[in-house]
Amino acid sequence: MAKVKILGKEFSHPKELKFADAIKAGFPSPAEDYRHDGLDFNRDLIRHPEATFYGRVDGDSMVEAGISDGDLAVIDRAVEATHGDVIVAYVNEEFTIKFLDLSHQKEGYIELRPANPKYQPIRISADDDFEVWGVVVWTIKPWKR
Amino acid sequence: MYGIIDCDNCYVSCERVFRPDLKHKPVVVLSNNDGCVVARSNEAKKLGIKAGIPYYQLQEKFPRHQIAVFSSNYELYGEMTGRVVSLIRQEAPNYFRYSIDECFVNLKKMETADLKQWGEQLHRKVMRYVGMPISIGIAANKTLAKVASHFAKRYAGYRHCCFIDNEEKRVKALKLFPVEDVWGIGRRYAARLKAMGIQTAWDFACQKPEWVHYHFHNVVIFRTWRELNGEDCVPEEEMAKKKSICTSRSFNGMVSEFSDLRTHISNYAARCAEKLRQEGSVASAVSVFIRTNPFREDLPQYENFIEYPLYTATNSTITIVKACTEALEKIYRPGFQYKKAGVIVMQTSPEDAIQTTLFDMDADQFDKLKKLDRVLDKINKVNGTETVVLGSQQYALRSGKGKAEVFANVIKHEFRSPNPTTRWNDIIRLK
Repeated sequence: MAKVKILGKEFSHPKELKFADAIKAGFPSPAEDYRHDGLDFNRDLIRHPEATFYGRVDGDSMVEAGISDGDLAVIDRAVEATHGDVIVAYVNEEFTIKFLDLSHQKEGYIELRPANPKYQPIRISADDDFEVWGVVVWTIKPWKR
Repeated sequence: MYGIIDCDNCYVSCERVFRPDLKHKPVVVLSNNDGCVVARSNEAKKLGIKAGIPYYQLQEKFPRHQIAVFSSNYELYGEMTGRVVSLIRQEAPNYFRYSIDECFVNLKKMETADLKQWGEQLHRKVMRYVGMPISIGIAANKTLAKVASHFAKRYAGYRHCCFIDNEEKRVKALKLFPVEDVWGIGRRYAARLKAMGIQTAWDFACQKPEWVHYHFHNVVIFRTWRELNGEDCVPEEEMAKKKSICTSRSFNGMVSEFSDLRTHISNYAARCAEKLRQEGSVASAVSVFIRTNPFREDLPQYENFIEYPLYTATNSTITIVKACTEALEKIYRPGFQYKKAGVIVMQTSPEDAIQTTLFDMDADQFDKLKKLDRVLDKINKVNGTETVVLGSQQYALRSGKGKAEVFANVIKHEFRSPNPTTRWNDIIRLK
């Protein structure tokens, strides 16, 4: 989950007494100088907690890109979408996950490309009211249910 | 300089983030229990849908219009506005949240910056990160910032940020601003001012101080007058915390038994106590009100409101629920069909400033109650709201069901959207 709580009261982690060990009497631990906070997915993988949303992949349109039905997508709205990114867009009254193809911008259209030959790319002309909803920054694949 | 930042049509905008197809369509959000319209998109306002109209009237009056209707989903609105506040805090650390969708910011330390540009950038950032449109009003004090915010909303030319940064702009803005919309002037005072021929904020600001004193023996009004004239005199600490918390609801039917009414009141009281603890504040008095349905002229009518002091300011669930049920006993009359009830906890102050009275409980008991509340909050946080409740919050055993099950039938929310930011089962589906 993002570091965001319901009702938005506190957004920071509770403070810890980091060097509480140091006030203990006796022999100092030789590891103290190498203390590190540890690895935290919320802190290290989610760059913009306020802009991060989650989605569940529904279907096989991206299966050849390694994104399959049931995977979890971490979507960051703060990141600028560039050519080749996996993005989430809202098209025909549903959210869709596709590659963003900007190679035809000069010809007046862009494409949302699936990664499965069963599906056609979605073409979007410059006149359409279209927005990239967010950029997929991670997908999480369950191996064991 | 101060800024007021608020979310445009907040609840509607929250719903639209996950329903981009509703971007240019009329959308309304209903109050608790699907009673009446509490939020409208600009398109719905243009159709002539007024705030507060009952839902059944909406159906009758606008049958041919495609209006998207949502039940209120405070879980979603709370989470989304929390994101907005977090972004505001990063840009303006000296902030205080005034309501679910409004935030004041003190910009004194940022006066070298181009504040107009700063506001426009903040709008763009919040729009991109959260999908929430915000408006920013900036001026020398909070009352004028509120005026600026109205202009930022009304005219696209401001690009969502209006900055009243000189005398000429202040005069121009106040001349265009109806006196009843001025922050701090209630409906009652606005009516009196209008009766005296005062139409705009400018008309009011031009009065002499003696005139204001003579006609309104009221500190708040005088302060408003001074702020319209450019002084900065509304203290921050007075606004940082609200003066009261209210939990009330219209029932989805009618209630006449004391025991049923007590269940509702206990729930509202418990909710208020929980909110107080979340805010770190305490209440020194509670109010309870009950009333029948004024639209059912065929039924006998009754309404009452009672204020009940707490001898020691508190936020303990047990103490507040007990006081509220005692208050209810005093105003409850049998033989009426009640339609609405509510609890208001008043005069909240920060928790660390509690003074116990001589006759009240001893320190030991005080500590015990505190521990109990902590345990209550912890269990309910981990296991879901109202997992553990007080006995009086339960329905009488005659139904043989737990409270949650019975209550699901009591509160109506037919058109509630999913909770894609707080529940894994509700996250968006990606085709």
